[in-house]
Amino acid sequence: MTRYGFVIDTTRCVGCNFCSMACKVENNLPEDVWWSRAYTDGGEVEQTPSGEWPDNLHMAFMTVGCQHCDNPACVKACPVGATYKDADTGIVRQDFDKCIGCRMCMAACPYSGVRTFNWEEPKYFLDFPVGSADAPKHQKGVVEKCTMCWHRIAKGERPACADVCRTLARHWGDFDDPDSEVSKLIRDRPYKQLLADEGTGPCVYYLV
Amino acid sequence: MSENVTAAKAAKAPAATFGGRGLTIGIAAAAAVTIVGLVLWGMQLAGGFMDTAMRDFAPWGINIALFMFFVGLSVGSMVVAASPRAFGFESFGGIAKMAAWVPICSTVLAIGFVVVDLGQPLRLWELFAYSNLSSPLMWDIIVLSVYLILSVVYLWTLLRAEKRQASAKALRIVSAVVLLWALVVCAVDGWIFGLMPSRALWNTALLAPWFVSSALASGAALVLVLAIALRRTGYVDVREEHVARLAKLLGAFVCVDLFFFACDLVTEGFPGGSGAGIVGMLVAGQLAPFFWIQIVGCALAAVVCFVPKLRTSPLLVAAGLLTVAGVFCKRMQLVVGGFQVPSLDYATFVTPFTVTSDWGVGLAGAYEGMVYAPTLPEVGLALGVLSLGVLLVLVGLKFLPLSSVQGAN
Repeated sequence: MTRYGFVIDTTRCVGCNFCSMACKVENNLPEDVWWSRAYTDGGEVEQTPSGEWPDNLHMAFMTVGCQHCDNPACVKACPVGATYKDADTGIVRQDFDKCIGCRMCMAACPYSGVRTFNWEEPKYFLDFPVGSADAPKHQKGVVEKCTMCWHRIAKGERPACADVCRTLARHWGDFDDPDSEVSKLIRDRPYKQLLADEGTGPCVYYLV
Repeated sequence: MSENVTAAKAAKAPAATFGGRGLTIGIAAAAAVTIVGLVLWGMQLAGGFMDTAMRDFAPWGINIALFMFFVGLSVGSMVVAASPRAFGFESFGGIAKMAAWVPICSTVLAIGFVVVDLGQPLRLWELFAYSNLSSPLMWDIIVLSVYLILSVVYLWTLLRAEKRQASAKALRIVSAVVLLWALVVCAVDGWIFGLMPSRALWNTALLAPWFVSSALASGAALVLVLAIALRRTGYVDVREEHVARLAKLLGAFVCVDLFFFACDLVTEGFPGGSGAGIVGMLVAGQLAPFFWIQIVGCALAAVVCFVPKLRTSPLLVAAGLLTVAGVFCKRMQLVVGGFQVPSLDYATFVTPFTVTSDWGVGLAGAYEGMVYAPTLPEVGLALGVLSLGVLLVLVGLKFLPLSSVQGAN
């Protein structure tokens, strides 16, 4: 079995949003749609340091997209099975052609903002599509989210975000393979998972 | 008994002119507003949802609140309509047929509110082709569809029994089945929200029974208001003792509903922790207007229902309307409050799709006020759907034999 997921080294991440940008370009995401975002672990405003001034300040970021959970709340909630867990890869998929746009999955998913809804006809900054030719087509009135670059994995490539990370903070691989880089990382390093006590079993691990 | 006597006298001399020009004008007006609603829906389908206040961090709004509300109204009025026959206790007068028609209209409305909320309504057929049986929404669609059919069967049996074409026993069985099923519908409706682990305000075992109590309160209130109004027009034969019995029932339902609210607030607030934040949000925070309208409105309604001297027709109508408004406020609290507490509250960059807030204030700015407050086009569309319900009720009153007064139909 294969269980793909990410390991993100928060001690290396500088919150540059390069992964978010790569995702946006690779998947030809419409204006204002982001499947990945850097979250600041500091205060109410983006890029606020945590701790106390002046000697004890530090900044930490978490890049958050779909957590591709082992027990996804969205998959249980979707009335038509438009979002489902792929048995061969563990990837939580979203069938844009099947989604009825009820947004039950968005209400169910505890990771606020990783699921996006196309509230209007997708618009683009450029008048030509960018990214991969086989990237998913975007349509109005459906829920979208990170596909883990399904189209790239199918070609034997890594997800775009893992490919571009400039600080080498983002790792991608198969957690069911004990010899994979991601398996070794979570074996050797302390990590946390987002909202682990919700029982969703996220497949994104944050090294701390 | 010190029931109001003047109203009873008025009721004894029904105008017997029900269904005249007034009703026709009402039907025409409701149809006109429904058409406006259809136009607004068409605009939403063509242009998208950016005219609404729904965004990625608050993906549901007034339509879902009204969906819950009308499922509750349907269940509540059905229980009031069917319980005398199901349990064989004294009736509420000649309201049974009218109170069996209202739930059918309410259920249609509830379905309507979900349909206009869909991003892809043309894919509705998938619900039946690709049903995912692990989804509480799917459970609700199934039980609600069955309920709609049962409601029609119940009304049909009621009309048949009146013409002595169906036995009293058959009617009693159908009444019991529809009553039980109505409660199932209500509980499953609560589970759509209560089973979502990530929404602190929803995720409580109390939610399903609470949905039942709110449903009974709003349903009894609506039936009471309609009974008084239709008695005045000489459409139904309701005596003062029936009104008083309905009022006492309404008072009891309202008190149970308030008791559940108290249980919830104490359980959330007492340990301190994050629950105290939820209590604060309701009592003195962003949702305080909805909270206090509900609490004060329902408390006043209970007083009117229980104090015999206050049980006059105008005050009872006011009590009924206060209860209905209060339960609607509860529904808005649930929808908005569910999203008002994000389970992942780290700061990030914000786009026009994330939340409705001015540029630069980020997520913190968006959560300072209500994260969702309906916009004018949303309210317009909701009114359009609502008038479809009014239209259905009025057409039913005009063309179906729902009256309990000879010659009114």
